[in-house]
Amino acid sequence: MGHMKRMAVTIFMLILVISLAACGSGNNGNGNTADNGKSANAGNGGNKAADNGAKDDGKIDTSDFETITYVVLGDKPKNGQLEKVMEKVNTTLKQKANAELQFKWVEWADWQTKYNLLLASGEPLDLITIGTDWLDTWGNAQRGAFLPLNDLLEKYAPQTFAEIPKEDWDQSKFKDDIVMIPEDHYTQWVNHGIYYRGDWAKQFGITQPITDFETLGKYFQGVKDNMKDVVPWDTNGTNGTLYGGFEASYTDNIDLPIATGYANVYTAKSYDERYTVDSPIFNDKFIDFAKLMKQWGDAGYWREDVLNYKGDTRTELKAGQTGADAHHTQTFKGLRVEMDKQQPGSELQMFSYSDTRGNLISMPITHGGTSIGAHSKHPERALMVYDLIRQDPELYHLINYGLEGVQYEIKDGIRTRPAGYDEAKDGFYTDFWGGRIDKNEIPSDTDWSGIGDIYKKYDGIKKPFPYGKFVFDKTSVDPEMTAISQVVGEQLPAILYGKAGDPEKAVQALRDKLKAAGYDKVKDEIQKQLDAFKASEQG
Amino acid sequence: MEVVRKRIRSDATSLAVRGFGYVFIGLFAICCLVPFLLVLGTSFTSEGSITKHGFNIWPREFSTFAYKIVFENPGLIVGSYMVTILITVVGTAAGLFLVAMTGYALQRPDFAQRNGISFFIYFTTLFSGGIVPFYLLINQYLKLHDSYLAVLLPGLMSPFLIIMMKSFTKSIPHAITESAKIDGAGDFTIFLRLILPMTTPALATIGLFIALGYWNEWYNAMLFLSPDMKYRPLQLFLYNVITSADFIRNSSAASNVPLRDMPLESMKMATAVVATGPVILFYPFVQRYFIQGITVGAVKG
Repeated sequence: MGHMKRMAVTIFMLILVISLAACGSGNNGNGNTADNGKSANAGNGGNKAADNGAKDDGKIDTSDFETITYVVLGDKPKNGQLEKVMEKVNTTLKQKANAELQFKWVEWADWQTKYNLLLASGEPLDLITIGTDWLDTWGNAQRGAFLPLNDLLEKYAPQTFAEIPKEDWDQSKFKDDIVMIPEDHYTQWVNHGIYYRGDWAKQFGITQPITDFETLGKYFQGVKDNMKDVVPWDTNGTNGTLYGGFEASYTDNIDLPIATGYANVYTAKSYDERYTVDSPIFNDKFIDFAKLMKQWGDAGYWREDVLNYKGDTRTELKAGQTGADAHHTQTFKGLRVEMDKQQPGSELQMFSYSDTRGNLISMPITHGGTSIGAHSKHPERALMVYDLIRQDPELYHLINYGLEGVQYEIKDGIRTRPAGYDEAKDGFYTDFWGGRIDKNEIPSDTDWSGIGDIYKKYDGIKKPFPYGKFVFDKTSVDPEMTAISQVVGEQLPAILYGKAGDPEKAVQALRDKLKAAGYDKVKDEIQKQLDAFKASEQG
Repeated sequence: MEVVRKRIRSDATSLAVRGFGYVFIGLFAICCLVPFLLVLGTSFTSEGSITKHGFNIWPREFSTFAYKIVFENPGLIVGSYMVTILITVVGTAAGLFLVAMTGYALQRPDFAQRNGISFFIYFTTLFSGGIVPFYLLINQYLKLHDSYLAVLLPGLMSPFLIIMMKSFTKSIPHAITESAKIDGAGDFTIFLRLILPMTTPALATIGLFIALGYWNEWYNAMLFLSPDMKYRPLQLFLYNVITSADFIRNSSAASNVPLRDMPLESMKMATAVVATGPVILFYPFVQRYFIQGITVGAVKG
């Protein structure tokens, strides 16, 4: 009897589990179709509304007052300045488009989860900040989060539509639909490199700007020899910048938009062979590089416990306690000004990794941008508002800089803080990263005046970002990629900082472990998808 | 009395064991205390001194700058405190009542469906719908976004606590319930007048669990309470202070965010002190029940 009962219970459990699992997948299926249906409907609805809205004489009907929401990333300023500025913004918006703008903030607390949930929830969002390389925009587009804008743009955002060239619109398409407005007219470079002190370099006899690792090593040695109690580069082991440095300085590899944790294992072979998968780790030069890093680590260019050290390099740099720091060009342009203030005469310089052999790919134009939510109730008006805040200098300045006289003053064409400006009381920002544009920017005294030369240098060597529309589908290799990320995270930091023992053995061990984790399977999968991408690119 | 003392004194090994125990536990207690003192000390140290000398229990350069930033807007932090206290008090009272009632009901032998219902409760510990359905449920169907209920309701009951309560109330003989019934008491009276007073240790333990849960709650608040709300729970507020400082310092996309000097390390410590304060005051009072309650639960479970 007891046996029978146990059997029955087991069977019941099994049935439950199976039915639940089935239920789950069924729901998923339904969810997806429902979503697709809805977004298609929303699209139609939008188009219909557009047709209705447009009167015969081509004028747009704005008789109903609408509130447009804009999803932005960042923490809402709490000092009341935002409200003051938005009041002005909305007065103008009411005149020009009979609408008002409301920011919807996704704070930095677990923002990835929150942002994606917000898009998945089906809430009627109007404008949404997007970024293909950091906000999973393609994934969200695949899930139907965005409204296709094909027929709306020309009519409701005419200036923006005309300004963005056709190639850039093409980069903004998911399948055949334009699903985002790229921030393609705003100059920003996240080209990584190492900052070092120009005054110290001169003192050590390095008169030319540093453009390779060998000279950088000389600089570090100089700090080591001449500066008492200064760690040449007091970095911590979580900083993976040297890997990117190796890739750009020693190889022709260029990054693929495929993340594998601490460092990207897979790259393309070179710009010319951009559809061929390669990996800097399996390049022979990587062993030489590992040896160099061992040498640097042994020489004490960073501290002995670098892998566990958690200090803040930038603070130390500003305090004159370290000779170097690493990040990208955008950070450099502000940091240089700060350093001139805090360490007068330091003449902070940047060795960007692209300096060595000109291996530089521009950023995707969709690093920033704006989409319209699939469930937006008034996409036409949202586009009108977007066109205004991007193109109208008055609105643009309000949203990006605040009120003239309170948040900023213009002296000789340069934006500066008014006397008596108090950050806590007067500070203002909107984190509007979805449509900034160079022509409306006012140069700021917090940006280094020499940054233009660096931009020019980059513009001279840059190659266009080739993977704007390449979306890697990792479903079939997900477990392998997780395993690879784990291996990279465990092994690579020690190699980069010369703490892995014999470099040759350490690199060999890393390669073996990557192979065991499924390196080849993932490589084949990426190659397969790149081939398909190549075919689609070349028609 | 005399006899007992003599026996202990005569037993040298026992004395040694006791001595060792005191020393060991004493050392262990110090080990537990040191990190906290380190946090406290660091929170009052200037950021420059931290980068130079590292963390110290006794601040080398005394500074209250970190607290100044955390308390930059005193109204906000007081409001957040109030919200957290409110949610913790209401949530703990309601949660405790519900968990106790469920636990009691589920173990009564004369409740026919107890196994079936228990199974449904336990089953949820094995499978969960995941975060998207949860978000949709609270946000779309229950429409609780920007309402403190969104934080309160999900934390009310948890299967683990119900199991604990159930096994604890099992130790109360069913005969007590039956005798009360014979005397004419209704089920609710029995629960309130007889069962609840007998389960104080368990209630204190579970209450502490629930209270700590609510006190530390920030995730649901992060998901469902938007920055448009004036006051949000303390932990979320503090978490935001830290993450935004962190972000401002490492900002990549945020080139137009004004940079300011953030004493990040000391600030982390200051927020930790602000966040733990009341719990430390409150903990010693329930601690004795805590030990009893959790042991009983363990033995009988």
